[in-house]
Amino acid sequence: MMKPLLLRARGERNSRSLTTYLRFGGYGAVKKALIMDARDVIKEIKASGLRGRSGAGVPTGLKWGCVPKASGKPKYLICNADESEPGTFKDREIIRVDPHLLLEGMIIAAYAIDAHKAYIYIRGEFFHEAQMLEHAIGEAYRKKYLGKNILRTGFDLDIYVHRGAGAQICSEETALIESIEGRRGQPRLKPPFPAMAGLFGCPTIVNNVETLACLPHILENGADWFASIGTQESTGTKLFSVSGHVESPGVYEVPLGTTFREIIEDHCGGIPNGRELKAFIPGGSSAPVLTAAEIDTPACFDAVAKAGSTLGSGGLIVMDETVDMVWVLENLLEFYAHESCGQCTPCREGSAWALNILRRIRCNQGCPEDLETLCRIADFACRGMTICPLGDAFCEPIRSFLDRFGGEFRAAVTSGNPPRVVKAPILPTRRDQSMFAKPGTESC
Amino acid sequence: MLRLTIDGVEVQVAEGTNLVEASKKAGIEIPTTCYHPGLRVVGQCRICFVEVESMPHLVTACSTPAQNGMIVMTKSPRVRNARAAVLEFLLANHPLDCPVCDQAGECSLQDFSMEIGLDESRMIDEKRTFPGFESRQIGPAVVQNQNRCIRCSRCIRFTQEIFETHDLIMKGRGARAYIDTFDGRPFDNPWSACVADVCPVGALTVKDFRFRARVWHLMETPSICPGCSVGCNIDVGHLDGVVHRFKPRTNPEINGWWMCDHGRSLASDLNNRDLDRPAVRSGSTFSTLTWNEALVILAETIVTKKPRIVASANLSNEALFLIRRLFVEHLDLEVVVPTDSGAQRWIKNERGTRIESIEVQPNGTGARLIGLSMVDEKGLRDFVSQSSVILLDNRAHAWLAGPDAAAELRGRLAAVFGRRHTELSRTADLIFPTASWFETEGSFTSSTGRVQLARPGWSPVRLGRPAWRTLTDLAVRLDLPLENCISPRRVFEEIVQEIPAFAGMTYRRLSSEPGIPILKDIPHVG
Ligand code: SF4
Ligand code: FES
Repeated sequence: MMKPLLLRARGERNSRSLTTYLRFGGYGAVKKALIMDARDVIKEIKASGLRGRSGAGVPTGLKWGCVPKASGKPKYLICNADESEPGTFKDREIIRVDPHLLLEGMIIAAYAIDAHKAYIYIRGEFFHEAQMLEHAIGEAYRKKYLGKNILRTGFDLDIYVHRGAGAQICSEETALIESIEGRRGQPRLKPPFPAMAGLFGCPTIVNNVETLACLPHILENGADWFASIGTQESTGTKLFSVSGHVESPGVYEVPLGTTFREIIEDHCGGIPNGRELKAFIPGGSSAPVLTAAEIDTPACFDAVAKAGSTLGSGGLIVMDETVDMVWVLENLLEFYAHESCGQCTPCREGSAWALNILRRIRCNQGCPEDLETLCRIADFACRGMTICPLGDAFCEPIRSFLDRFGGEFRAAVTSGNPPRVVKAPILPTRRDQSMFAKPGTESC
Repeated sequence: MLRLTIDGVEVQVAEGTNLVEASKKAGIEIPTTCYHPGLRVVGQCRICFVEVESMPHLVTACSTPAQNGMIVMTKSPRVRNARAAVLEFLLANHPLDCPVCDQAGECSLQDFSMEIGLDESRMIDEKRTFPGFESRQIGPAVVQNQNRCIRCSRCIRFTQEIFETHDLIMKGRGARAYIDTFDGRPFDNPWSACVADVCPVGALTVKDFRFRARVWHLMETPSICPGCSVGCNIDVGHLDGVVHRFKPRTNPEINGWWMCDHGRSLASDLNNRDLDRPAVRSGSTFSTLTWNEALVILAETIVTKKPRIVASANLSNEALFLIRRLFVEHLDLEVVVPTDSGAQRWIKNERGTRIESIEVQPNGTGARLIGLSMVDEKGLRDFVSQSSVILLDNRAHAWLAGPDAAAELRGRLAAVFGRRHTELSRTADLIFPTASWFETEGSFTSSTGRVQLARPGWSPVRLGRPAWRTLTDLAVRLDLPLENCISPRRVFEEIVQEIPAFAGMTYRRLSSEPGIPILKDIPHVG
């Protein structure tokens, strides 16, 4: 097993303090980066092959390259610490173990894109973590790693911690920006993308905590070293937050390309009570579910995509044979129906509708048509039908659960005593004149 | 200019036009509910999907700018499917209470479901409802039914972007999201009823219009709001001789898509009339006369008493012009037009420019251009303080409606014209019923310097007569016939010839253009 990078200080005493961080050679990368040319920093990151750790896997260097050089407007860096997808809790671990690693990454990123103001948008429920960050930022200011003229290089950077108010949608970057601006957190129409017009209408880069935490390591040890870890397309290490039916759930750092079998069996000690694995969700609750047969898939962006899922945020949810898949889907939908911001029709109505159907199925009131309706909802609330990816986030699970565990769902809808299915007329048509005649059915 | 093809039709549009507007140019209508030409594009409702060649996903027409060489399909099977699906989502929790909904007949949702032809729903669960929000009065002018809301956010954007009062907000999230007023305060800005116009469904309705008429029965007559000098363009909705509502009519130069609540509230005024035939005082009572008899007495009074004339800026250009001709030029009487700056009202035009009123009367600018002398309240009191007076409109000025005026003018008021009795009319010697502005054709000059035409909804009821007709008849009795002045149209032709500011205008042009700017420089307001 390789030595952890991002979680190298885990288990140390006072791991969060600046002294411990400096003992590990902390802020060395900043010293290096700030005397480099910003373009060289971007080149270095591009060469390392680092891909965003928040879900989509966009190459970080590429993203930075989109910031217009001479727009005349200030540029902003935002660290997305609004980690609120079920099953994902890796960013929290980084903040708890080593907040300075994140700060150092942010200084490097801000220098590369020429931003002098940076925000950490942290999930509202992470109250203690926000305090930890505030504390670390205070330390860094005192030691001149932040503020005016950092380490006498002439580079200025201020970092602000902004606590969210508890909406998962604010982890979507444009909703996050709206939220920082003080508005209702709901995603913006794209284009323009944040790299062009983001926070306060200025070019903005939003990076995930884990992505930023990788930067000091890359700068310190070189792009080639980083690229040598992991696979060809997915370089570096990745944190997996493992939850569910494993002996020891928690956050594990492994090189990308490690198979899920290794993670589940070697790192997490396998499935407890001698039970069998039934299914696992590889990348947070919005990723399509995979079956036990796919456990040998390497955990890297492309292989997981080939298997029909996404690596997403690395929230690995493990389910053993006792789990009722209908219940799991209901549980997931409960979350998404609650978190839909409510602006796009397909997502707002679709998520609540799908949840209603599943609740009904679980109460033994399902009918075979329900599965068709679920498929239809899943077909028409994702892939560009909505403004942001929350539509896909609830549709992909529906589709994959019905695909891979369709038998269980079919059994659930046929075993029940369904309500009589009345196709409700939407508007009175000529065929249905009787609707006008029914007395006293409507009041206002 | 960009060239693009929409459903095989080639169109040319300006840079920055979105696909909804471009399709409109090609004669193709794309269903939209969250898009409103006056508001920011948000692309929320997702019903306006179209297919663009070389783009992998369907795109929302409202948020996609036209590009050169684009090939757009608005009726492909993929588009139809997607639209049907979005409509099904919209209708899934909609109460479908069209039979009792005031919006029925002008509801986007209803139109689209008729068009897309969805008549069955897969939704068999209980619908989501918002108990207590079925007919909640959120402000003096607006009633909300949250169950019908499709969360297009037009109402919210209206309050944020147009009049910047920010009174409406979205509360809650997802399917439970609902519209509420900020901080729970009453929604009472001066334009609040416009949210009912922008609301594509029956979620927000105008309180005064609720349950008064089905909109498909209503006749709509294009007209001009008489509420202030701005002259917002309106459609007057009326049925069987009863006016039910005013609704803004789009005029990019003056009122954009909006009008104020004060203007709307004037609709019911048109239904009020208690003066219905000419009358003459005998002692302390009045006895009715025919118009003929009454005009003879009036002519006599004018010749013998040489009264002073108080005209009114509520009258049309045509009437004011005849007043000048007859009283000023032929009879050499003293005439004034009282105006009153009153409460200032403003509106925004299509470009978002603020247009402010200068007077409460709609046609002060016209009177000035025609060359009548204007007075304010003080001037008016001085003017009527001696000799006998004829009042051509008993509501020409707020002061005339008060008790002071009645006391002041007692015994000297030779004649008064009006639709309703006021304290003042009871002290007059002669009373004439007039037709309302809605019963005769006439042009009005807005304080923005545009001349606009108001169409009549019906001919005068009872024995009310429009001012232009009274004046021409009176002229005949006085042996001073006004040539050519046999209809407002002909009077307007005279105006055009005589007054340079109106040069080149015709009724035909007035009815097809958004008002015609006058030629002379006047102090431009707004
Ligand atoms: S109340 Fe009407 S305008 Fe406002 S969001 Fe709902 S449907 Fe749209
Ligand atoms: S009209 Fe285009 S998304 Fe609503």
